[in-house]
Amino acid sequence: MILKMAVRELLTHKKRSFITLLLSAFSTGLFIFANAISDGSHNQLIRSSVEVYPGYMQITNRAFEDNPSFDNLIFDVAKVKDVLGAVKGIKSYAVRFEAFSLYSTEEQSIGGMFTAIEPENEAEVSRLKSSLIEGEYLRREDTNALYIGAELAKRLKVGVGEKISFISTGADYSFAADNLVIKGLFKTKLYEFDNSCAFVNKAYFDTVMKSENIATHIIMTPDDVNEIDTLTNDLQKALDDTLEVKNYKTTMKDLIMAMEIDEVFGYITLGIFFVVIFFVISIFAFLSVYARIRQIGVLRAIGTTPVQIVGMLLIEAMILGILSVGIGGGASAYATHHYEKHPINFSNWGDVELEEYYKQYNMVAEVTIPTEFNPPKILIEMLVMLLLNLLTVVYPIVMINRFTPTEAIRYV
Amino acid sequence: MRIFILLFLFSLQLLAITADEIIKKVEHNIQSDSGYSKITMVVTTARGERTMRMESWNRGNEKSFIKILYPKQDRGITFLKIDTTMWQYVPKIEKIIKIPSSMMMQSWMGSDFTNDDMAKESSIVKDYNAVISAEDEKHYTLSLFPKEDAPVVWGKIVMQIEKENFVPLQAVYFDEDGIEQRVLYYSEVKVFGTHHLPTRMTLLPSNKEKNKTVVIMDEVDFDIVIDDSRFSKSALKRYSR
Repeated sequence: MILKMAVRELLTHKKRSFITLLLSAFSTGLFIFANAISDGSHNQLIRSSVEVYPGYMQITNRAFEDNPSFDNLIFDVAKVKDVLGAVKGIKSYAVRFEAFSLYSTEEQSIGGMFTAIEPENEAEVSRLKSSLIEGEYLRREDTNALYIGAELAKRLKVGVGEKISFISTGADYSFAADNLVIKGLFKTKLYEFDNSCAFVNKAYFDTVMKSENIATHIIMTPDDVNEIDTLTNDLQKALDDTLEVKNYKTTMKDLIMAMEIDEVFGYITLGIFFVVIFFVISIFAFLSVYARIRQIGVLRAIGTTPVQIVGMLLIEAMILGILSVGIGGGASAYATHHYEKHPINFSNWGDVELEEYYKQYNMVAEVTIPTEFNPPKILIEMLVMLLLNLLTVVYPIVMINRFTPTEAIRYV
Repeated sequence: MRIFILLFLFSLQLLAITADEIIKKVEHNIQSDSGYSKITMVVTTARGERTMRMESWNRGNEKSFIKILYPKQDRGITFLKIDTTMWQYVPKIEKIIKIPSSMMMQSWMGSDFTNDDMAKESSIVKDYNAVISAEDEKHYTLSLFPKEDAPVVWGKIVMQIEKENFVPLQAVYFDEDGIEQRVLYYSEVKVFGTHHLPTRMTLLPSNKEKNKTVVIMDEVDFDIVIDDSRFSKSALKRYSR
């Protein structure tokens, strides 16, 4: 009976019901999409920054961060590899030796990073291989082959197949120099990285830099990124105390902190959005209930109890809420799913300025932003919006029940 | 009476040596218009010790030429310094490389000295203002502060100099924040004509407890005749053999 009355009431005042439904559906959709794009952009920025080169987890000598000299290296890589093989939860790992070098061509000399990698393993822990834009990526049998950042190659005025020399200091502090041939160029979208880094096969590097079984870093990718803190602790316990295990939350803490601050500002914006939406719907609900005071007075006079009145109004709000949250939530869920697969492209929105911005802050220059399609989170957000809808009718209901039937019928 | 006291004080002022004069006397001791030396450099790190031997030719402060003799794999590497510019020839890659400014703070041949130390050795007088910050019976202590806009890396250098023969005893190098970075000790003074030369220098980096670079002058010849061609880029390759 109450349900029938509620439905009839909604259908009788179609325009009012439709506007309330539209307002609530739009708010729900906007709320869910805004959160999805915020999460998606943050996740992408962190993922890109981590996967381009730094990696999810790393092992270094404990003293290396404060004093990155060749006295503070990983001196027994084979032993560490044994430990990594025994610890569960590590998907892949790769050994690196980072050194500084002077690259020289016939025209000029420029300083830059000279890093040894295990080509196949490196491809599993970073996007170095997939960042190839010309030539070929390194292979484990390569000697004298250089895989160089496109910006650094541009500064050195060299291309694939051309010769370049390097001079550096070996792991034993001896003098190291050799001629190399450029095998491939890479571009990672991380401008400063592309502008200063070049890589060689570690087996070759070890012969010229006297670095066999020595490394500056071992980079790892976990099976499950969500379990990274546990894995970091487990691995630290398994390794000797001179080595330190860190994950991206520590190595990239500035970026993580920037994201968290951005999230706080996002929540503040959403909070303001919530308050505005709540009051808009509340006012609408208040006016629509007050417009029916005489009708409610008549219902009370013919024997309808206050509880039944409350029930009827709540059911009306519930029907409108479910419909609007369903429509808004459904539409935004579709949109977030779509834009997760096909990220929003900002390349036509003035990418030159964007590129400069990224360069300035040394961030990964992504011109597309995906949303994050997270069904459980979308459901929770829909429930929050439904609750918000129901809360908007609480005050009008309380107010209307203060009237006696006689007062309500006489209300003008 | 007062005029005599004033005259006495004035004459004392005239007799007092200035910081710049001390620096010039020190430079006379350790440098010459043209010289040759055979040097052993021992680099000690937390992981071991390396010995290098080299020959060095210089003309004043402005020009110098160094050839590595030992170890075998580095033999024939040559360095040329003209003013503050440095070139290097590496036989293995058969290339003359100009050391760019971005590499000046990198280690020189794996030692605790930097390329900048080798290239800008001559610019102390030009780039720093010296003041006598302390003095006792046997020593002067000079503080050297970089001149405005001088292209130098040190925020301050404090040198201790022996008064009798103006021999440097030690130099402490501070960064721009006033934090001590390294100490260079001079010892084993030998007399070569009018030069009192410390033939052993020990460089101790302050932030690397186990590191040390010792430079020993095995042979020194002052004021010899050196051909101009020694200080040219073509000499790098020619004298490498």
